[in-house]
Amino acid sequence: MNVSRRTVLKTLAVTGAAGAAAGLATPAEASHEAVKLAPDAMGLLYDSTLCIGCQTCTVACQRANGMPVDKSLVEANGAPYDFPSDTNGYNKTVIKLFKEGDKYAFMKMQCMQCVDPACTKACMLGSLHKVENGIVSWDAIRCTGCRYCQISCPFNVPKFQWLEAIPRITKCELCRSRVDGGKGAACAEVCPRSAVITGKSVDLLAIAKKRIAENPAKYYGEAGEDGKVVPKVYGEHDGGGTQTMYLAPAGISFQKLGLPKLETVPPAQMAMNVQHTLYRGFILPVALYVVAAFAIVRNLRKEAAAHKAQEKKEGK
Amino acid sequence: MSAEARPLGGRILTPFFFLLSLLAAVMAALVLYRVFAGVGSITALTDGYSWGIWKPINVVTFTGIGAGAYAVGLLCYILNEGKYHPLVRPAVLVGALGYTLGGTSVIVDLGRWWGSVFLGFPPWYNLNSILLEVALCVITYMAVLWVEVLPAALERLRADGTPGWKAFATKWLPRVRQMLPFIIALAMLLPTMHQSSLGGLYMMAPTKVHALWFTGWLPFLFLVSCLTMGYGSVVIMDILLGVVFRGKYRSHMKLLGDLAKVSGYVSLFYVVFRFAALGWEGRLGQAFQFSGPVPFFWLEIVLFLVSAFMYLSPGVRANRGRLFIAGFVGILAGAAYRVDTYLTAYDPGPGWHYFPSVGEVLVTVGLASVGLLVFIVVVKTLPILALGSGSDAPSPSRPTH
Repeated sequence: MNVSRRTVLKTLAVTGAAGAAAGLATPAEASHEAVKLAPDAMGLLYDSTLCIGCQTCTVACQRANGMPVDKSLVEANGAPYDFPSDTNGYNKTVIKLFKEGDKYAFMKMQCMQCVDPACTKACMLGSLHKVENGIVSWDAIRCTGCRYCQISCPFNVPKFQWLEAIPRITKCELCRSRVDGGKGAACAEVCPRSAVITGKSVDLLAIAKKRIAENPAKYYGEAGEDGKVVPKVYGEHDGGGTQTMYLAPAGISFQKLGLPKLETVPPAQMAMNVQHTLYRGFILPVALYVVAAFAIVRNLRKEAAAHKAQEKKEGK
Repeated sequence: MSAEARPLGGRILTPFFFLLSLLAAVMAALVLYRVFAGVGSITALTDGYSWGIWKPINVVTFTGIGAGAYAVGLLCYILNEGKYHPLVRPAVLVGALGYTLGGTSVIVDLGRWWGSVFLGFPPWYNLNSILLEVALCVITYMAVLWVEVLPAALERLRADGTPGWKAFATKWLPRVRQMLPFIIALAMLLPTMHQSSLGGLYMMAPTKVHALWFTGWLPFLFLVSCLTMGYGSVVIMDILLGVVFRGKYRSHMKLLGDLAKVSGYVSLFYVVFRFAALGWEGRLGQAFQFSGPVPFFWLEIVLFLVSAFMYLSPGVRANRGRLFIAGFVGILAGAAYRVDTYLTAYDPGPGWHYFPSVGEVLVTVGLASVGLLVFIVVVKTLPILALGSGSDAPSPSRPTH
């Protein structure tokens, strides 16, 4: 009885020690350094109040990136012309329609080019990584197709080619290597209403704020700490900031348009705090190994000695 | 140390063997088809639910069951409860199999599986990636577990091999044994790392995992749950062996009883800790809003409590059938917690749905069949099981307490 109780206490003590180590990590909110928006970082600015939903951007994107025509809706329900219902393994951007009563708005979906992206933290071999202008790029040879990027992206941006023997991850890379030799993001180039424009994120943010200043009632706002409703640029702070940003029409929240409500810290912040505290300098694992090895050698020796003594006793 | 371990013997090619082989063959055919037609061809996975049942069951639950090697090893080697030695070898074998199957499942699941060779190329390592930590750690631990199985194979070779093999085994057995403490130390460290990181993986999805499951304590809760699953699997395994191979193998009821007590308290600790963490983080209230996956939270708690109270009842510990049920519920509890974190409590947003496909289920069943098949063949041919130390035999080391 005693033996077992002691064992229980010891087991709990060992697990408790491991837990205490994990616990050290949890409150350390600021241990993972915040990444700031780089001055040369690029993105898009999409103004939902200007978009007419013509989907020219989707077509231009497919062409610029050498993607096949998506006939899924034509085949499924006889849609009159080809268009994708969502971003997928063969579509990097799509326009969606939000409707509620007599209110409606369009929404453009594509990669947000996060300032501090979760996908690049998740990716085992750095296939998803930031390149020039802060663009999140995908490198085929380093990708194992594990799809942890899809789990970690709060915007569900990376898409996978499910029916390919050699599948790829598909996501907007701001047309950084356009196959048709153009310059910059094809979607912004063709947009007839300049609802989507491209450029340096700092400039885009200034443009967004200027539009808001000129016509504050036109745009969706959120109540600040003082309770006053202030028009909001989605991406300025959301998820630690995104290089691609959004303006929504008054009365329609970003969440209704399909963007998640995020804190101002990057989504991977907590995970990185915990993980980097536990594995800082690999000290904790090495210490655990040394303690374990010491205990095992000692215990096995003790046991062998006891065994020998027992044999001797029985021998006599 | 485990000198009393002996091969079970008996016929290998039983009807059950052929049934398991058939299930394995179905899996092999599906996997072959998937290689050419893509991951989506045999799964119900989508860009929203990009990990289906293969991750939480084939990897996280199989290795949880395989954690018996870790959980019993912890008692036996670190806490110096040498009496558990007879349970170590079979637990290590189950561990080696569970982890190998989990690893196999990952390869099948990887869209660009050939790219995994670069896991052996450190310059490309992304040290931020929790999944990389899991992958490298699990691969290393798999090797460690098979090295731990090695002495059994060498012992058999020394006893019954050809003269060449006999000489080989006689030469290498002492060397492997000498190395063993340092290998065992790795076998204690690595599961601590990756079993916790298996939970840590979902710390990366704060907007998708339900608040009752999403916490900075995910790694710790996964670590504790692997202990209860590991103990459960050892309890079940030893009882099943005694039933299936009755006459040859006797279950170690006394040892299992002590193990059950340990596991009971660990399960209670898990429940108390989980509530404490929720309270500490101010999320306890969510447990009483019965919507979405919340009922599953209570199901997990009930399973943990049922197994704990069964384990702690002397009547259950004395009864083989009841103890078996307690162990089974214990495994179920840990598995439920893990599957819920990965799937039930995971919501990528509106418009996404997932229900496993027949193909996914058949691959999972096929993998489990391979595990069972190899386990049966190995215990029949190699000295894994302690045949002389069962419940009816006199206790080998310690007096009764």
